[in-house]
Amino acid sequence: MQAGNEAAAHDLKRRRSDKRLIWLPLTALIALLAFGIYSNEQVMVNLQLRNQAPGLTHIFGTDWLGRDLFFRTMSGLTRSLTIGLIAALLSTLLAVIFGILSWWHTKIDMVIVWLADLLLSLPHLVMLLLLSFAMGGGMKGLIIGLTLTHWPKLYRLLRSEILQINESPFIHVSRQLGKTKSWIAGNHLLILLLPQIVVGFVLMFPHAILHEAAITFLGFGLPPEQPAIGSILSEAMGFLTAGIWWMALFPGLILLATVLSVDWYGRLLGKKLQVKGGHHHGG
Amino acid sequence: MKGKMIPLFILCLLVGILSACGNKKATTVKEDDKADEQTRKDELVLAIGSEPEDGFDPITGWGRYGSPLFQSTLLSYDENFQLVGDLATDYSLSEDSLEWQVKIRQNIQFSDGEAVRADDVVFTFSEAKNSNSVIDLSNLESIHASDDNTVIFTLKQPDSTFIAHLASIGIVPQHAYNEKYHEKPIGSGPYQLVEWNRGQQLIVEKNPYYYGNESFFKRLTFLFTEADAAYAAAQAGQVDVAVVQPRLADKKVDGMKLVELESVDNRGIVFPYVPSGQVNDNGDPIGNDVTSDPLIRKAINIAVNRKELVENVLEGYGTPAYSVADQLPWWNPDTAFEDGNLDEAANMLDEAGWQMNSNGVREKDGIPASFTLLYATGDEQRQSLAMAFASMMQPLGIEVETAGKSWNDLERLMHSHPVLFGWGSHTPLEMYHLYSTSTTGKGYYNPNYYSNKKVDEYMEKAIHANSPEEANEYWKKAQWDGEIGFSVAGDAPWAWLVNVEHLYVIREDLEIGRQKIQPHGHGWPMTDFIQNWRLIE
Repeated sequence: MQAGNEAAAHDLKRRRSDKRLIWLPLTALIALLAFGIYSNEQVMVNLQLRNQAPGLTHIFGTDWLGRDLFFRTMSGLTRSLTIGLIAALLSTLLAVIFGILSWWHTKIDMVIVWLADLLLSLPHLVMLLLLSFAMGGGMKGLIIGLTLTHWPKLYRLLRSEILQINESPFIHVSRQLGKTKSWIAGNHLLILLLPQIVVGFVLMFPHAILHEAAITFLGFGLPPEQPAIGSILSEAMGFLTAGIWWMALFPGLILLATVLSVDWYGRLLGKKLQVKGGHHHGG
Repeated sequence: MKGKMIPLFILCLLVGILSACGNKKATTVKEDDKADEQTRKDELVLAIGSEPEDGFDPITGWGRYGSPLFQSTLLSYDENFQLVGDLATDYSLSEDSLEWQVKIRQNIQFSDGEAVRADDVVFTFSEAKNSNSVIDLSNLESIHASDDNTVIFTLKQPDSTFIAHLASIGIVPQHAYNEKYHEKPIGSGPYQLVEWNRGQQLIVEKNPYYYGNESFFKRLTFLFTEADAAYAAAQAGQVDVAVVQPRLADKKVDGMKLVELESVDNRGIVFPYVPSGQVNDNGDPIGNDVTSDPLIRKAINIAVNRKELVENVLEGYGTPAYSVADQLPWWNPDTAFEDGNLDEAANMLDEAGWQMNSNGVREKDGIPASFTLLYATGDEQRQSLAMAFASMMQPLGIEVETAGKSWNDLERLMHSHPVLFGWGSHTPLEMYHLYSTSTTGKGYYNPNYYSNKKVDEYMEKAIHANSPEEANEYWKKAQWDGEIGFSVAGDAPWAWLVNVEHLYVIREDLEIGRQKIQPHGHGWPMTDFIQNWRLIE
C-alpha cells in the first residue's frame, strides 16, 4: 500500500515535471518571439546616437546608424529563431515521411538512402549556400535550403529505428490480421517513433540556427533591412578595427546562449523520454 | 558525441571574428624586416581600389575616370583643372569650330621602343568610334593624319565637349593592338605592365621611354583587396598607400598619414519623373505615382539635412551636394539652396494637398507618400546613406523603405523606383547624359525619364558652342535660367546628397603633391600624377 502510494506520488511528480518540460520552453519561445516583434519596431536610425558604448539607456550600445543594438539583436534573434524553427519543423517532417516511405517499399528505400548519402557526403555549408541561392535567396531560399539539407541525419536514425520495430511481434501480428501498411504506420510506427521525432526536432533546431547564422554571416540570404543574427555579426566585423567591440560581442553571446540552451534542453528531453542515440544529430 | 561540436563551433566563430584584425597584425609585422625597408625606397605598394574587370584597354573605357597609367592622352588636366598638352604639344580649332588640329610630340616612343606616330592616334580614335563602347564619338565625322605629327579631327557639328575625349582616351599603338591588348597593354604612359594576377595584384614598372617627368618609383604594386584588408595591411606596414573608410580615418596608423582628396564623386537619389503605367522595350515598368509629383521631389530636397549626412554617415569626410557638378566650372552657383528645412517642406506638401493621415504618412487622392529607395547591395556607404535618408523623411510624413539590389535588378527597377546612384565626372557631358531627353533609358543614363524641352535646348547649345566659356553659360542655364532648369529650383528630378571625399593613408615620407578634384571611381583617379610622387627625407 505504502509503496504503491509512493510510486503514484512519484509518478505524479514526474508527470508534472514532464509537463513543465514542455510548457516552459514553449512559453519562453512564444514570449521571445513576441518580444522580437516589439523589438523590431524599436529599431530606428538615430544619427545623433551613433556608436554609443553600452550604457544604461542602451544596454548593448548602438551601431553606426544609432540603432539600439539590444533591440536589433533581439529582432535578429527572432528572425533567426523563426527561420530555424520553420526549417527544423519541415526538415523533421521530411525525415519522417522519407523514413516511412523507406519502410514502405525497398525500391523507394534505395533511392532515398542514396539521396541521403549524397547529401551527407557533400559539405553541409556549401550545399546550403547553393540550394538557398538556387531557390531565389531571401527568407524563402534560406528556409528551403535549410530544410533540404537537414533531414538526412534524422532520417537515418528513424529508418534504423523502423527496421527494428518492423521485426517486433506486434507488427507481425498486425500483418497477420490483415492490417494495411498505412494502418501499421499510423498506429504503430508513428506512435513509437514520436519520442525520437520530438527529440530529433529539438536537437535539429540549434543546428538550423547556427547554419542560418553562418550563411547570413557570409552575406547570403537576408538583406540588411531584415537583420538575422549572422548578418549583424558580419556587419560588426568591419567595426572591430575601429574599436567598436560591442557590436559583435553581445549579438555573439546571445547567439551562443540561445543555441546552448536549446541544445541542453534537447538533451534533457532525450534523457526524459529515454531516447537512445539522441546525440547522433551533432556535427 | 558530435553534439559537443556545437558550442565549439560558435566559440570558434566568435573568437575568429574578435581576433580577425589582431591576428593579421601579429603575423605580418615580423615579416617587415630591415632588408625589406631598403628595397622599398624606390618601390611602392598600393591598395587603393578595385580591379578594372575589363582590363586596361582605353578603347573599352579604361582610364576614363582617371589616368590610364600605361597610356597617355593627347591632353590632360593639371591640378587647377586647366587643359595642358600631354602627348600633344599644340592644338587648335578651326574658325568654323569643326576641325581640330593636334600636333603630337616628336621622337617619342611606346614602352616597347616603337615610335609614337600620328597614325596611332588615328587608329585609336577610329577604333573607339567603331567599337560601340562607353565612349560616344558619334559626332566625329573623320580623322586623319596630315603628316607624321599632325592629326586632324573633323566634326559633324561644333562640339564644345569634344575636347574632353582628347583628355580621356589613352592612345594605343596600332602595331601592338590585338584582342589580348587589355591584358598586355603597351602605351606611352609613365608605367608599363609587368604582371597582372587577376583578382590579386598588378605590378608595373617605370616606362624607360616615358617623355614626361621621370618617375621617382621604379616599381609599383597594386593590391586588389577589400577596404578592410587594405587597412589591415596598412596597419601592418605592408602597404604604402591604402584606401581607408571614413569610420577608421580618425585612427592614427603608425608611420602613415591621412590624405583627404576632395571629389565630385557624388551620391544622389534619382526619382522616377513620370507617373506609373508605362513599360519600356524590355517590359520593365516606368514611372512612380508619388515621385512624379514635383512638389514631393522639391520637399525632399529641402527637407534632407545634407550636413548631417556628411557629419554622421561620412564622419565629416565629404561635402553636401546640391547638384551633379558642385564647384566645377559649369556649375551654376545660383542653384545652391538651404536644406534641412522640415517646416518649409511640410508647408509645401500641406499646400499641395498631401495631408498627414493617422499613421503619420501623408496622403493625396488616396495615394500614400511612400516608396522604396533602392541602392546597390554590398556598398555599405550607400546602404547607410539610404537608411539615414529614410529616417530623415519620416518626420516629414514621407514613408521610405530601403532595399539593397544587385546591379542587374537595379537596371530593371530603376525606372519605377527611386535609386541611390553615384556619379561625378570631369566633363559637363555627364549632365547631358543624366538630364537629356535623347539619352533616356540608355544604360544608366537618365533612368527616370526626365524630359524638359527647354533644358534640352540649352544643353544642345552648350554642346555645340564655340568655346568652353560660352558652353558653360549654357550649361548653367540648363540648370537654372531663372524660370526653369533641372536643378532643385526647377524640376528637381534628382536629390543630390553628398560628395564623398576620397580617403587614403599613405606613408609619412611620401609626397604626392597637389591633386585635382577627384572624379567618381575610388582608387585609380589618385594615380593621375603618380609620376610626380616622391619620398622626402
